Amino acid sequence: MYRFLRLSVLLVGLIAAVGSVAVHAAQPLTTADDLGPVVDQPIEFPHDRHAGDAAKGGMQINCMYCHTYARRSNVAGIPPLQKCIGCHRSIESVRETPRIKKLFEYWEAKKPVPWKKVHDLPDFVRFNHERHIQRFVFAQEKPVQEACGYCHGDVKTMTVARRQKPLSMGWCVSCHQKDHPVSATSTKTTHGPNDCWQCHK
Amino acid sequence: MIENSFNRRDFLKVLGWGGATVALSGCGNTSVEDGREYVTSYVETADYIIPSIGTYFNSTCAQCDAGCGIMGRVREGRVLKLEGNPDSPINSGKMCGLGQAGVQAHYNPDRVREPLLRNGDKGEAITWEKALQLVSEKVASANPGSVAFLTGGVSGHVKVLLKNYLDAIGSDRHYVYEAVAPSVVRAANKKAYGVEMPRLRLDRAKVVVSFGADFLGTWVSPVHFSRQYAKFRKGVNGERGVLVQVESKMTITGANADRWLAIRPGTEGILALGLVNALSAAGLTVPAEVAAAVKDYTLDRVSNDTGVSVEHIGKLTALLKDRSPSLVIAGGAAEGYAHGSQNAAAVALLNQVLGNVGKTVEAPASMPFPQMAPITGNRSSLQALNDSIAQDGVKVLFNCGANPIYSAPASMNMKESLKKVPFKVAFAHYMDETAMEADLVLPLNSSMEDWGTVVPEYFAEGAQLNIQQPLMEKLHPGTLGMGDVLLALLKQRRPAEYNGYEDYYAYLKNAMVAIKGALGGENEDDDVFWDSVLSQGVVKLTSSSNALVSSASAAGLQLPPPAAEDGTYPLRLIPAVTPNMRDGRHANEPWLQESPDPLTTIVWDSWVEMHPKTAAKLGVVEGDIVEVASKNGAIKGQVYVYSGIHPDVISVPLGYGHEAMGRYSKGVGANAFKILDPVFDQQTGELAMYETRVKVTKAGKRVIVVKDEGPAGGNQSGRRIALRMASGKVNLAEEV
Repeated sequence: MYRFLRLSVLLVGLIAAVGSVAVHAAQPLTTADDLGPVVDQPIEFPHDRHAGDAAKGGMQINCMYCHTYARRSNVAGIPPLQKCIGCHRSIESVRETPRIKKLFEYWEAKKPVPWKKVHDLPDFVRFNHERHIQRFVFAQEKPVQEACGYCHGDVKTMTVARRQKPLSMGWCVSCHQKDHPVSATSTKTTHGPNDCWQCHK
Repeated sequence: MIENSFNRRDFLKVLGWGGATVALSGCGNTSVEDGREYVTSYVETADYIIPSIGTYFNSTCAQCDAGCGIMGRVREGRVLKLEGNPDSPINSGKMCGLGQAGVQAHYNPDRVREPLLRNGDKGEAITWEKALQLVSEKVASANPGSVAFLTGGVSGHVKVLLKNYLDAIGSDRHYVYEAVAPSVVRAANKKAYGVEMPRLRLDRAKVVVSFGADFLGTWVSPVHFSRQYAKFRKGVNGERGVLVQVESKMTITGANADRWLAIRPGTEGILALGLVNALSAAGLTVPAEVAAAVKDYTLDRVSNDTGVSVEHIGKLTALLKDRSPSLVIAGGAAEGYAHGSQNAAAVALLNQVLGNVGKTVEAPASMPFPQMAPITGNRSSLQALNDSIAQDGVKVLFNCGANPIYSAPASMNMKESLKKVPFKVAFAHYMDETAMEADLVLPLNSSMEDWGTVVPEYFAEGAQLNIQQPLMEKLHPGTLGMGDVLLALLKQRRPAEYNGYEDYYAYLKNAMVAIKGALGGENEDDDVFWDSVLSQGVVKLTSSSNALVSSASAAGLQLPPPAAEDGTYPLRLIPAVTPNMRDGRHANEPWLQESPDPLTTIVWDSWVEMHPKTAAKLGVVEGDIVEVASKNGAIKGQVYVYSGIHPDVISVPLGYGHEAMGRYSKGVGANAFKILDPVFDQQTGELAMYETRVKVTKAGKRVIVVKDEGPAGGNQSGRRIALRMASGKVNLAEEV
C-alpha cells in the first residue's frame, strides 16, 4: 500500500518537473508571459525613444547609461534627475514638449520625480543586479538588452516599463537550474546558485 | 520594576492574533507593491553615492564626553550604523555599546519636535521666530547679572559662542553640572601632579592597581583605556601586566582583574598609605617626611581597618616592588566619601613613591586654543546656582545638557528651587524632568543632524579637535542645532559681528578656515582644507605639554579611621555607574535598556545588589522586592544576590527611575540619586556619592528577575553551568 503511494507521488512529481521544464524551455526570453499592472507614472517616460532600434526612431542608448548602478550594486537604480537634464539641456528640438517641460519643472524646484515602482520583490528576497550583469554582460559578453530582458522583457519597445515576468521564486529557480557557459570563451558550464540563503538572507 | 497591567495571558493573546495576521497576509504576496510604492531617485548626487551601498562619513560620538571618533554608515540618505573612526587616537576604530546606541538617540520617537511654550500644564507649539523673540524680550527686560546658563560639559565652537553670548548680554554666569564626574580626583590630581587629569599609560605599566576606577566600563575614556589595557595584557617583552582592583562593589574592570580585593568602604586611602609603609619597609626609597607620616599604618592595622588580609597586602607590596613601572589609579570608589580628597591624595602619593610620575603618569597635551577647551562640571557649580536662585538672583535660566531635577540629590530640592526662576528655557532632545518644568522648550538637532566641533576631555595622544558633521538630513524640520540658536541670539545682540553668517555651518567653516595654519593646513586652499577636515573627522593639533610635579609629599594627609556602624541604617549604599546607563541621560534608548548589564545580566529594570551573607541576614533571596531607605527617602527594587560586593554594602544602579523623558525610560526602575545623603567631600564640596547609609526591609512581593543568565544565577562561577530549576519548584502563583 505504502509502496504504491510512494510510487504515485514520485510519478506525479516527475511529470510536474518534466512539464515545467518543457514549458519554460519553449519560452523566448524577452517576451511577456506574466504582464504586471499598467503603472501611471508622473512622466510617461518613452523607453522606446531612448533605447529602441534606430530603424524605429530609437536612440539605441545602452540600458546601463541611465541605470548605471546595475553593474555595481544590488539595485539598478533610477537615474538621478541631473542625468536626464545633462542631455536634455542641449537637446533644443524637444525642449518645449510637455514631458520635457515637466521634467525641467522638477529640476528647477530641485524635487525628485515621484516615479512609481514597477518591479518589486517581497522584503525577504534579496535580488542582486550586480551579480547578474557581471555574469551575463561582462563574463559571457551577452548584449546588454538581452541580459536585462531576461527579467525585464523587451523594454526597448515600451514607453513606460511594465512588468513582463512573474518574478516568483519558481520562475527564478527555473532559470537557475539551466546550465550556461562560465564565460564567453569557456566551454565549462555552470548554473545559478540554488542555496536558500543566496536570496533569503 | 515595571508596574504594568499587561499580563502574560494578554501578551500571548496578542502574539497569537499577530501571528495569524502575518500568516494571512503572507498568502496574498501583499508585500509586493507593484505600481504602488514610490521609488525616489536623487536630484543631484555625487559619483561615490551608489544606491544600496553604504557610504561612511566621519563624525564624533556625543553619547559621553570621551569624544571618540565615529564613522556613520549612510545609505539612501539614512544613517544606519556607527563604527569607530580608525584615525582617531582616542578609540582607534573601536566603539562601545553606549556609542552604538547613538542612532537610537537620533531616531528616538520621543524627541521634541517643535518649540513649546508653557500654557498652564501644557506646552503649546510655537514658531522659532516667536520663541527667539520671546527669549530676546525676557533677556532684555532682566538685569544682565540675573541671566544664567546651566549646561553639561561643553567644548569647541559652541562653547565660544556661548561665552560670546553671555558677554554680549553682560553676564558671566555659566554653571556646568555633571552628575557623575571624577571631580574630586581631578582636584586631588591638580594638587599632587599639577594637572587635573594626567595622561595614564596603562600600556607601559607592568602592574596596575586601581582603587575603584572603572576604566574599562565608565571612567573618563573607557574605549581608549580598553585599547591600552589590551596592550598592557600583552605586556612589555612578553611580561603580561597584572591588574589588581580594589573596590567595595565589583565593576566590569574588577571582573577583569587578576585579583579583586573587596575593601571596607571608605578605607581605600588607608590601604594606599599602608602600601607606602610596607614598600618602605621592603626597601623602597621613600622620602623621610613621607615615611614618618605613614609609619603608623602597620600591616595589622591596615588589614584590620580595610578588611584586606595581611597576606594579600604582602603580595601586593611584593608585586609593586618587583615590577616597575606600575600605575595606581584612584576612581569613583575612592573619591566618593567625605574624605574622598584624602583618599585620592593617598593614592597619588603611592604613585609618586613608586616613581611612576613621568613613566606611566605623564603630562597631558595642552589645548592650544584654550577658549575651545572643555569645561568640566561638578556639583558645587549646581549648588552655587541653587544658592543664587534661593536669593532670587536668577531671572532667566537657560538649561542645556543637564538634568538636575533628575540627578541632583533630593536635599537640593531642585524642582521646587527652579520654580522660583521666572523664565526657564530648556534646550532639549527629550521632555526630561528638567524640561518638563521649563517655560520654553527649544528642540535640538540630534548629534547626527548637527554641525560642531568637540574637544575631548582626555587626550589620548596630542591635542585634537573632533569634527561633528550631519550624517543625514534633519528628521524633524522643527529642530535646530545649539550653535544655530546661539548664533541667532547673538545676531539680536551683535548684528554687525554675526549677521554675515547665514547659519552655524557658515560660522564654523569660517572659524576653522581662519585658524587653518594651526590645524596643519597653512598651504592649502580654503575649500581643500575644509573638505579634508570633514573627511578625516579628527584634526590633530601641535601642542606642548607642561611638566608634572613629581615631588612626593604627605603634608596635609589626614585619613579618618573606618566609619563606625550606624544602628538604624546599618548598610552603605553604592550608587553604581553602569556601562549602559551611566548618569541616566540615555535611558530612553531601548538598546541600552535591553542589553544586559555586564555583571548581573539584568535588563529593563534596576536592582538591589547584595552579598549572599547580607541577603541571608536580611532573610531575602533573589527577586524579593525590598525597600531601601535612607534618611532622605526610600526606593523599592528587586534583590540580586552576588558575591562581588562587600557584605557591608548594597548597590543600586544609577540612571533608572525617570519620571519623564520618554516611553522607554519613564517608570522603569528606581532613581537612586533621590535617596543619596547630603554628605560632601570636605575639601572640594563635591557630593560624596558613597556615603549614604541605608536600611533594607522586605516589602513582601517576590518577582522573577528578568536577566540573561540561567536561573542558577551566580552559581556559574562554580562551573555548574546553566542549572535549571525543577518545574515542581517554581511557584506559579508568585509569577508576575
